[in-house]
Amino acid sequence: MANQNNPLQFNPQVQIINASYDGIITETDKNLFNWQKDTSIYDAHPFFEVLRSFAEDNDLDKKALNFPCIHLEDNQSEKICDITVTFKEQEIIIILFDYTGKYKDLNQIAQQKNESILLSKELELKNKYLIEKEEFKNSFIANINHEIRTPLTSILGFVEVLEKTKLTFEQEELARIIKRESLHLNALIDDMIDLSKIESGKLKIVEERFAFQNLIDGFRESFSKIAEEKQIVFETNIDSGVQEYLIGDRTRIYQILNNILTNAFKFTEEGKIIFSITKNYQRTNKVSLNFKIEDTGIGIMEENIPFLFDRFSRFEANKRVPGTGLGLAIVKNLVDLLNGEIKVTSELEKGTVFNIKLPFKFEVTKAAPERKKKKYKLPKTKNKFRILVVEDEEITQYLIMKVLISQGNFFVDIAINGEEAINYIERRRYDLVLMDLTLSKIDGYQATHMIRNNYGDKFISDVPIIGFSGKASHVARDKCIRSGMDDFIAKPFEQEELIYKITKQIAKKAVS
Amino acid sequence: MKLSKKVVLLGHFGVGKTSLFRRFMDNEFSEEYKVTLGVQIKKKVITLPDGRELSMIIWDAEGHSDSVEDTRKSYLLGSHAFIYVFDLTREETYITLTKDLKYLKENYNKIPAKVIGNKLDLVNEKEINTLLTEKNIPFDCLTSAKTNKNVEHFFSDLANEISK
Repeated sequence: MANQNNPLQFNPQVQIINASYDGIITETDKNLFNWQKDTSIYDAHPFFEVLRSFAEDNDLDKKALNFPCIHLEDNQSEKICDITVTFKEQEIIIILFDYTGKYKDLNQIAQQKNESILLSKELELKNKYLIEKEEFKNSFIANINHEIRTPLTSILGFVEVLEKTKLTFEQEELARIIKRESLHLNALIDDMIDLSKIESGKLKIVEERFAFQNLIDGFRESFSKIAEEKQIVFETNIDSGVQEYLIGDRTRIYQILNNILTNAFKFTEEGKIIFSITKNYQRTNKVSLNFKIEDTGIGIMEENIPFLFDRFSRFEANKRVPGTGLGLAIVKNLVDLLNGEIKVTSELEKGTVFNIKLPFKFEVTKAAPERKKKKYKLPKTKNKFRILVVEDEEITQYLIMKVLISQGNFFVDIAINGEEAINYIERRRYDLVLMDLTLSKIDGYQATHMIRNNYGDKFISDVPIIGFSGKASHVARDKCIRSGMDDFIAKPFEQEELIYKITKQIAKKAVS
Repeated sequence: MKLSKKVVLLGHFGVGKTSLFRRFMDNEFSEEYKVTLGVQIKKKVITLPDGRELSMIIWDAEGHSDSVEDTRKSYLLGSHAFIYVFDLTREETYITLTKDLKYLKENYNKIPAKVIGNKLDLVNEKEINTLLTEKNIPFDCLTSAKTNKNVEHFFSDLANEISK
C-alpha cells in the first residue's frame, strides 16, 4: 500500500514460502497467492521452474538470490514482486514482496520516456527519408536537365539553320512548330529547375542596383508588339514618384512580372491589359511597390482560385493554351522569397486582376547609368580564326561546325574528348577552344587545367577557352571560371550568343 | 524427468521482444507499444522431432537503453540460451551488437546467444540484408512479429539446438 506522504514509497505485502529441494511446499502463508501446502512450487509459476536447476547446481552461490520486478500471475491474481530465494541446507526459503503499485507507477514514467525517445527516432527517420527523397529529386532533375538539354540544343540549332534555307510554305510552318514546341520544352526545364531550387532552398536572392524604369520599358516594348498582333489594348501606368533605379533581385522580379504578363496575354483574346505600378509607401531608403496586372481575358472559376498557385494546376478552360503549369507556383514562391505578397481576383469570362506587392531599397544619392552590353569585333586579319570544338556528341559537333562555318570567319577542328583536344592543341595553334564539360577520359575541367598549367608556350597556355554544358547553372559557370576557362555558355545556346562570346574572347585576346 | 530450458530475450527497448514473446507464446500481436518493466515469464511445451517434450521457459526482460550490461544479472542466471533482438529500422539498436555479444561471451561463455533482427515487415529484405552485411552485423534470423514471418521456425530451431 502506498505511503500517503510519498506515493513512491511502499510498504509491501509479503508472502513467505518454505519448500524442499524437490520443490514441495512445506509451509506458506497466503498473503499474495493461494498456493497449497504439499504441492510443487516449480509448478506454481514458470519463474520457479528455474529454481530446480539452481537447486541442482553446486557451483552457484546460493546464499540469497534477489530477483527484482518479476511479473507473477496465477488464475486468481497478478502481482509484480521482488523475490528473494535463499537455499538453506535442507530447504529453499522464498520471500515475495508485492510492489505492484510502485512498479505500475514506474511503468508509466518508463512508458512516457521510451515513447518520446521512439517518437523522436521515428521523426528523425522520417526526416532523413524526406531529405534523401528531396536530394534524389533534385539530383534527378539536374541530371535529366542535362540529358534533355543536349538533344534540345541540336533540335533548336538545326531548326535555326533550317529556317535560313529555302523552304516551302508548309516546311516553314513545320519548322515553326518544331521551334515553338522545343522552346516550350526548354521553358519547362527552366521552370522545373527553378522550382526544384526554390524548394530545396538553393535559390539565392540577390540584391543589386538595377534600372527599374528600363525593365518596365522593356515590358512595355515587348508586350506592345504582342498586343498589336492580337489587336488588343496594352496600357502601362507608372507612378511618377517611382525611382529610376532600385535595389532588388532584377532577374527574379523580371521573372515574376514576365510570367503574370505572359499569362494575361495568353488568356486575353479581346479587350485590354493594364499594367500599373504604384507606390504603397516609402521610408528612408525603402519603398514598397504594387504591381497590378488587369486583363479582360477568360477569367478563373471561383473554386479554382485557391489552387491557382499549386504545381501543375492547369484548369480545364486553360488547357487549350500552352503552358507548363509551373509558372504561377514559381511566381508565388519567388514573391514569398522576396518578402512580397500576391493576390488574385477573377470573374469568369470577365477577366483577372493580379496584385503583387514587393519591397525594394533605393540609393538616396543620384546613381550612375547602367552599363550597356559592350560590342566586340573580330580583329582584322587575312586569315580565318581557327577554333577547336571539344565535344563528344556528333550531332552537337555538326551543329556548331555548321553555325561557325556559315559565319565565314572560322576554321573548325573537332576533338571528341579531353585527351584528343590536348593532342590537337600541341600540334596546331588555335584562336579559341570551345570545351564541353562532360567528356570521357579527361573531362573539360581537367583538360583546361592541363592547357593552362602544362605548357610554357603562351599560345597554348593562354588560348581562350569557353566551356559549354547542358547544366545551365551558376555552379557550372563558376566552376568553369575557377578551373581557368574564360567564359561559359549553356546548352541550348542561341547562335547569336555563341558568336558574340567567341568574338568577345578572340577580340580580348588580340588586345592583350 | 521433464526437459526444461530457460531462454532470455535481450535487446534495446522498443525492438519488439514482447511482440515476439506474445507471438510465439499466444500467437497474438498488437501495434500498441507497452514498455516492459522487469521481466515477464511464460512457458511453452514444444514437441521435438524425436518425440520428446521440451518446456521452453521464456524470460522477456525489460529492454536496455545503452548496453546489455544494464540487464539485471539475476535475470540471466540459469539460462540455456539468449536471444538478442534488434530493430531493423533503428540503427542504434544494432550498433552496439558486437560489443554486447562480446560481453555475453565473456561472462556467459557456455550459453549460446542467437541474434534476431525484428520488424522485417517495415523494411526491404534484400536491402536490409545488404546493409547488415556491409556493416558487418551478425544475425541468425530476420523476423516479423507482426506478420509472424520466421518466428515459429526460429524458436523451433532453437528448441532443437538447446535440447541436444
